[in-house]
Amino acid sequence: MLSLFRRPRPRQSAIDMIRPIEMNPIEEILGINMRNALIAKYNPRSAIERARDKVAAKVALEAEGIACTGTVAVIDDNRSLMQFKPTRDMPDAWAIKPARGSQGDGILLAVRREGDVWYKGSGTPLTETDVMNHIQKVVDGGFSGDSASEDAALIEPLIIADPGLADLVPEGLPDLRVICLHDEPLMAMLRLPTNESDGKANLHQRAIGAGVSLETGRITRALVKGEPITHHPDTGIRLVGFQVPGWDRVLELASRCGPAIGLGYSGSDIVLDKNDGPLIIEVNAHPGIEIQNICQLGLKAQMAAVGEDFR
Amino acid sequence: MYSKLKSNFQRIWGRATPQVRRPLYIGLGVGFVLAVLVVLGLTNTESFFAMPSSFGDQATSQAIWGLKPSNLLMVLPLGAFLVVLARSFIGLKAFGLFTPMLVALAFLQIGPIMGPIVLGSSVLVGMIVAPALLKLRMTRVGFLGVLISLVVLVLVALQLILDTQLQVDAFPVVVCALVVERWWRQWEKDGAVEAAWLAFNTFMISIVIQFVMVSHFALMLIEASPLLMPAATAGAIAILGRYRGLRVTEIWRFAPIWLERRRAARQVHDPDQLEFDLRPPTPEEAQERAPPLEGIWVINSPRDLEPFARRQVPQPRPEPEPAIPNSEAQFEPRIGTSGTAPDRPKKHNAWLIKSAEDV
Repeated sequence: MLSLFRRPRPRQSAIDMIRPIEMNPIEEILGINMRNALIAKYNPRSAIERARDKVAAKVALEAEGIACTGTVAVIDDNRSLMQFKPTRDMPDAWAIKPARGSQGDGILLAVRREGDVWYKGSGTPLTETDVMNHIQKVVDGGFSGDSASEDAALIEPLIIADPGLADLVPEGLPDLRVICLHDEPLMAMLRLPTNESDGKANLHQRAIGAGVSLETGRITRALVKGEPITHHPDTGIRLVGFQVPGWDRVLELASRCGPAIGLGYSGSDIVLDKNDGPLIIEVNAHPGIEIQNICQLGLKAQMAAVGEDFR
Repeated sequence: MYSKLKSNFQRIWGRATPQVRRPLYIGLGVGFVLAVLVVLGLTNTESFFAMPSSFGDQATSQAIWGLKPSNLLMVLPLGAFLVVLARSFIGLKAFGLFTPMLVALAFLQIGPIMGPIVLGSSVLVGMIVAPALLKLRMTRVGFLGVLISLVVLVLVALQLILDTQLQVDAFPVVVCALVVERWWRQWEKDGAVEAAWLAFNTFMISIVIQFVMVSHFALMLIEASPLLMPAATAGAIAILGRYRGLRVTEIWRFAPIWLERRRAARQVHDPDQLEFDLRPPTPEEAQERAPPLEGIWVINSPRDLEPFARRQVPQPRPEPEPAIPNSEAQFEPRIGTSGTAPDRPKKHNAWLIKSAEDV
C-alpha cells in the first residue's frame, strides 16, 4: 500500500546519469501537497510572519540594501493616526495599503491632487475625511482577514510604471512574479491588467498572465483565463516576444529577496518604476502554482535542475 | 455516436502514459471503494422518510441505522479520514477544514432527509437575514450568536410546519450556524458562484461521509472492538497525510501543459509517431507536417527536370522583430535606418522601360 504513494525511484542507467533533469510530464509539476511540504521545509514560521507583514518585510529588505517601493508613512496605532494630517503629509499621488492585507484588499490609490482633494484613477474625488476614514478602517484591521484585530496602514508614493510596460496595458500597473528557491530564480511571469480586470494585475480577475523566459527576459506565451493569446486584447500590442526592460536587474533583485526575509521558497512581486527601475512590492511565502500553467513548465523539474532532492 | 465516443476514449486511454495512469488507477480504486461503502450505507438505511417523532424514545441514528448514540464518537475518525482523503488526495475544496465531517455527524443526528432540509432552510434564512445583520456592523461572535438563534428559530418553525418533534441537541444547531457563517464569508470574498460551488462540495462530501459512517463495514468494525476503528483510521490518515503527489483535481488543472506539449510534438514530423497514428495523413496534414522548404529543390512537373529548369525555393523572409514600445528609443542613435531596411524591395539601377513614352 505504501509503495503506491511513494514516488518511483528513477531507474539508474547511464542516460539518467547524464540527464538528471529529464522527468516525466506528471512528475515535473509541483502540486499543492508538495508545495506545502516545501514551505514547511524551507520557510520558518518567523519568516512567514515577516513576509506577511509588509512593514516588517520592507525593513528586512532595506536592511539588505534591496530596492523596495518608497514609504511616506506607517500608521500603526490611533495615536499616530491623530497626529497624521493628509493635506500636510501626503504627496500628490499615493497608495494606502494594509500591512497585513491579502489579494489587494483595502488598497486605495490616488493619482492626482487638486487643492485639498485627491482623485482616484477612476476620477472619484477623495477628501481628507475619506482618506482618514480609510486609514482608520485599515488600522482597525478591517482588511486583514479575521486573524489580526489590529493592523498598520502603509502609505507609499504611487508607482509610475516603466513606459515600456505601461504602453502594453490600457490602465493599471503590470507586475512581475518571480519564484525562487533560495537564491535561484526558477520561473517568472508578467501579470498585465486588462479592462476586464479593472486595472488589477490579478489573474483571477481576468488579468493576463505572460510567461517570461528566465534566460532572455522575453515573453514566451500569454494566457487569459487559460486561453493562449499573442496580442493584448485591449491595446492590441504584440506580447509574445516582448523584452522586459532591465531583466538582469529583476532577476538579481528577486534572487536576493527570499534570503533577506529568511524564506527558502519565495515568490517576489516586482514592479518596474519609471525612475527607479525594478522595485520589490512584496515577497510571498506561499506563492501559487498557477504559474506552471502560464509558463507551461513544471516547477518541480526546475527545482530538480537547481539541485533539490525530492526523495 | 456512442461508439465514436467509446473509440475516442479507447484511443486516449491507449495513449495515456503510465505516469498519468498510475494516479488515475489509484483514484478510480479509491472511488470504487467509496461507492461500495456508500451503497452499503444506503442499504443499511431502514427508512428515509420516517418522521423522528415516530421513533419514540430511540435516537434517530439508532432507529434508522442501528448506530447507538454512544457510538457516534466512534465513527468520527472515519469522517476525519474521508475529509483528509477529499482534501489532500482528491483535492476538493469545502467550507472549513472538518466542517463536512461535522455536517455529516449532524445529519446522523437529525436524519437522512430531515438533516439536509434543516441545513438547507437554515442557510436560506441566513442568506436572507445576513445582509441586514452585516449592516449593523456586528463582531464575528455577535454574528454567530444571532445565527444560532436563527437556526433554532428555523428548527421550531419546521417542527410546527411538519407537526413533529425533531430530536436535535446543541451540536447540529451550532454546526448549521457555522455553515451559514462560512457560506456568507465565502460569498463576500469570492462571489456567489464560488460560494455555491463550495457549498455543493461540502454537501456532497458530507453525504458520502454520512453513508460511509453508517455502512455495515463501519458498524461491524465498531462492534468488533472499540479500539479497532480509531487505531485503523489513525494509521490510514498517517499514511495519507504523507502523500506528496498531485491531487486528482490537479491532474485536470495541469492537463493543458502536457496535452499542448503532446500536440506540439505531434506537429513535428517524426516517423516514430506512426505507432500513434496508423491512419495515413491527408494531404493537408502532410503539408502541415512537412519540413519548411528552405533551400530544397522542388520538382513539380516534368519540365522541372529539363536542363537549367530547376529552381531553388526562395528562403522565407525572417519574421520581423516585434515592435517593442520603448520610450528610450527616441534618444538612441539610429544607425542604418536609411536604405538598409530588410523590408524595402530592392531596386536595380537600370532604366525601366515600361511604355513607348519612356524611350
